[in-house]
Amino acid sequence: MSKLRIGFAILSARIVSRGLRLCRRGATTLPGRVAIRICPQIISALSQEKDIIAITGTNGKTTTTHMTTAILRARGYEVITNVSGANLATGIATTLVAGIQREKKARKANKKAVYVLETDEAAFAKVCGALRPKVCVVTNLFRDQLDRYGELVHTQNFIAKGLDSCDAKILLNADDSLVASLSNQRETRSVFFGMHTESMYCNSVTNAGNSGVGETTTDASYCSFCQTKYEYHAKTFGHLGDFFCPKCGYKRPDLDFSISYKLPDSPGEKGISDEGFSITLLHGEEEALVALPIPGLHNFYNTMAAVAACTFFGAQMQEDALNFADCAKAVCEVRPAFGRMEKIEVGNKYICLLLVKNPVGLERALSFVSSASDTGAMFLLLNSNDADGKDVSWIWDVDFETKTYPEEIFVSGERYGDMFLRLIYADIDKARLHPKPMRDCAMQIDEALEVCAEGKCLYILPNYTAMLALREILVKRYRLKDFWK
Amino acid sequence: MEDRLRLCHLYPDLLNLYGDRGNVLALKRRAQWRGIELEIEQVSMGEKFDEDRYDLVFLGGGQDAEQNIIRTDFVSGKGDAVKRAVEKNKVFLCICGGYQMMGTFYEEHDGTRIDCLGAISVHTIGKENRFIGDTVYSCPFLSGSKILYGFENHSGRTYLGSGVKPLAQVISGAGNNGEDGFEGAIYRNVYCTYSHGSFLPKNPRMTDHLLQCAGKLKWGEEFSLADLSDEMEEFARSSLLTCKNA
Repeated sequence: MSKLRIGFAILSARIVSRGLRLCRRGATTLPGRVAIRICPQIISALSQEKDIIAITGTNGKTTTTHMTTAILRARGYEVITNVSGANLATGIATTLVAGIQREKKARKANKKAVYVLETDEAAFAKVCGALRPKVCVVTNLFRDQLDRYGELVHTQNFIAKGLDSCDAKILLNADDSLVASLSNQRETRSVFFGMHTESMYCNSVTNAGNSGVGETTTDASYCSFCQTKYEYHAKTFGHLGDFFCPKCGYKRPDLDFSISYKLPDSPGEKGISDEGFSITLLHGEEEALVALPIPGLHNFYNTMAAVAACTFFGAQMQEDALNFADCAKAVCEVRPAFGRMEKIEVGNKYICLLLVKNPVGLERALSFVSSASDTGAMFLLLNSNDADGKDVSWIWDVDFETKTYPEEIFVSGERYGDMFLRLIYADIDKARLHPKPMRDCAMQIDEALEVCAEGKCLYILPNYTAMLALREILVKRYRLKDFWK
Repeated sequence: MEDRLRLCHLYPDLLNLYGDRGNVLALKRRAQWRGIELEIEQVSMGEKFDEDRYDLVFLGGGQDAEQNIIRTDFVSGKGDAVKRAVEKNKVFLCICGGYQMMGTFYEEHDGTRIDCLGAISVHTIGKENRFIGDTVYSCPFLSGSKILYGFENHSGRTYLGSGVKPLAQVISGAGNNGEDGFEGAIYRNVYCTYSHGSFLPKNPRMTDHLLQCAGKLKWGEEFSLADLSDEMEEFARSSLLTCKNA
């Protein structure tokens, strides 16, 4: 590829980026799109000699990317990262172009630059070879919008293909059989993180809840190698747990990084969702007590993944600043990412946003709202645009039946009728439900805040495009920062 | 009279795509709201299916990998009992992959023929391109609203053989094969459709029809379901019409 073409691509991307910002619009993907159009190898050209950590998986990649970035920054690195959602080739190219200037600045300040790139699972197959990351992180594989991504095994294949197109070290979630089995044939470059089996026992009790329609829908119930049903010593949520195959003996790999926690009293999720809960992270002989930066059981994994990614990367690069203890310390200071447990103060009440994009995400969010001690009201929003997946039937995969909800539940989004019906079929009294079309969304927020008691929190659970629409309303009303700023 | 019906959910740990369990939930609730308990039992790999034990059977759709796991168990293991259940007029609801598997064979787009159960006379030809999107059908035998709403996502084209009637006529969407304007299949009390996930919650008259069939089979021809409002479902259905995607 000619240097001239690369230069022209970079220049064009910069002009587009500046233009968009002048129009007060986020420039997260278009500059990269232009650069790729001019020079299809732009990603490969710009990622030479770079230190890159790529993070993929169906859930938790934004939070893990965000936490990894925060740790590295706290440890004195210049971190260049893509904004949430801009995780396809176009967004990554945009980030790499913007990184050129940032790297120059970093050099002047005598800082080392690291790229932390959230990468869409399907895009991972294509961009990984060009990016040649030092470390790849796979958070988990849950069913996502099936009409967009296709079947889970395909997603797993995309990731496998990406891993084979580079020689990166790989950090895998051991508790997810679909992710852990990616180490097959890649043993020498794989390490694992997961939850201590004894800590899992605490959750097994709540997960056994009876919905009356049988066990919750799960993926990956059967062995990746011999198609026998897995058994579990204990589970955390979804299909995550200490699994083993009774026939071929395939089992959860040994953990290089692990999470351990103790509950103050009775088992269940109660208490662990509250702020200030502490978990212990373990790595070899080392132990670190970490005040959970963002609540929720799923964030135990994200926290561990981020600390492990930094430590593992540090070991590869022989960076003393990235030792386990200091990385674990740095993660405590992280604040929530865009729409992930973001809390806004409104008078003497709070609004908290929990983005929910797929069944396990919604199940986690409902479980959180159901157990948090500050829940005042709940507002669910469901859209079905291209970015959300056109099929909304995934809400029926979610176990709504075993949770306890605040008295008043508000429902909106373009598919508010579908969400309303889901709640009716969860046998929730219709008098508690307030369904309204999307155009009344702002009014709904007011009404929900109205019924929310002082000091309590209105939990809003939108899916992706509903979230964007909602953000616009909140930005206007409460002067929230735009996500691309 | 025992106020209880029993449903067998076949392979819930493998055939559970696109919110299939919403259908089981819909049957349970609309029975429960009338004072009839619907007992749900899950039967999966290697477990015996006893056809006399159940009034209703639900068979969902799965991902290819999962469907390959169950095929032998379903066709050879439980096959005879399932066929007997069909001939005894047990009420079946089969969705997408489950629908295809009840038929005689599935021909993949490379020509490979996969033998299916053959409980009903339908067969499926796989093609490269998929039919994906919201659908609307007309189903004349339902009482009240005869309009069915669904969401389809399938690459197989299904053709009905002798003795099998279509479930509905396509108003919008592709239906069985995108050619003949029909959707789904009915043979005895076996109801099949390509409509995924929230098919029954969105179509309470179909839910009631299946419960009615099961009730008649269990308690005799004179059985009739008590009246039950479908105001909530109608509310959701009318919101679908105003949604730009539907």
